[in-house]
Amino acid sequence: MQRRTFLQGVGALPLVPILAGSLLAEAPKKPKSKNAISFQKALEVITNGKGAKASDRVKLIVPEIAENGAVVPVKVNVELPIERVRSIHILTTKNSNARSADVFLTPRNGRPYFATRIKLSQSQDVVAVAVLDNGEALMASKPVKVTIGGCG
Amino acid sequence: MARKSIIKIKPRKYKVGDIVKVDFIVIHPMETGMRKDKKTGKIKPLHYINEVKFYFNDELFTTILPWETVSTNPYFSINMKVTGPGVIKVVYKDNLGEVNEKSKRVRPKG
Repeated sequence: MQRRTFLQGVGALPLVPILAGSLLAEAPKKPKSKNAISFQKALEVITNGKGAKASDRVKLIVPEIAENGAVVPVKVNVELPIERVRSIHILTTKNSNARSADVFLTPRNGRPYFATRIKLSQSQDVVAVAVLDNGEALMASKPVKVTIGGCG
Repeated sequence: MARKSIIKIKPRKYKVGDIVKVDFIVIHPMETGMRKDKKTGKIKPLHYINEVKFYFNDELFTTILPWETVSTNPYFSINMKVTGPGVIKVVYKDNLGEVNEKSKRVRPKG
């Protein structure tokens, strides 16, 4: 009898630390970004709640696979005269702060073009939004696969 | 503290009326406020450039509002129409109130 209870006790022991360990591992959360904003909300703010229309006039150039999420080159060309484009915005769908850059253009730019490098925390979509002078918003999005995250 | 920054005009030879690329690079950590310092174990505070303004002969022509999700040592590229000789001035600020500027002469040929 004693032997049996002893064995049961030994068998049960390792289970307890494993369970406790898994609970503890979830406890220390990542610090939240002060500027955190979801993609939906950021898009609403940019387009004044109207939403953006997908369009092939907005050309978004991003790599399909980014080996390093900390440096992802993004290039945006809008195939419209510069007088019609007021601003270009670069957004991401899963970063804690969905906004990356807001660019306000004037006719002196000559052509609506913008390029930069951004950080991606995980595989997600990169979205470019162009706001026109009549308040309309055009959008293009492309998925990017990330092997090493760069945000946090 | 002065930061190192570069303005490049591409292509190098251009004429009046051409549309050139203006590249701006600045050496800046762009901390997200979510990373830990490996030595001290403390979280590094949020530190990023939040405004870049491009002037041509003191006339503002482009404003960029970057967020902390822009890569370390940020690179921005825009287009500009050359209307004559002048100076491109870039004024950039970060969220801790640091303001710096950088200038580059525009000399169209022909």
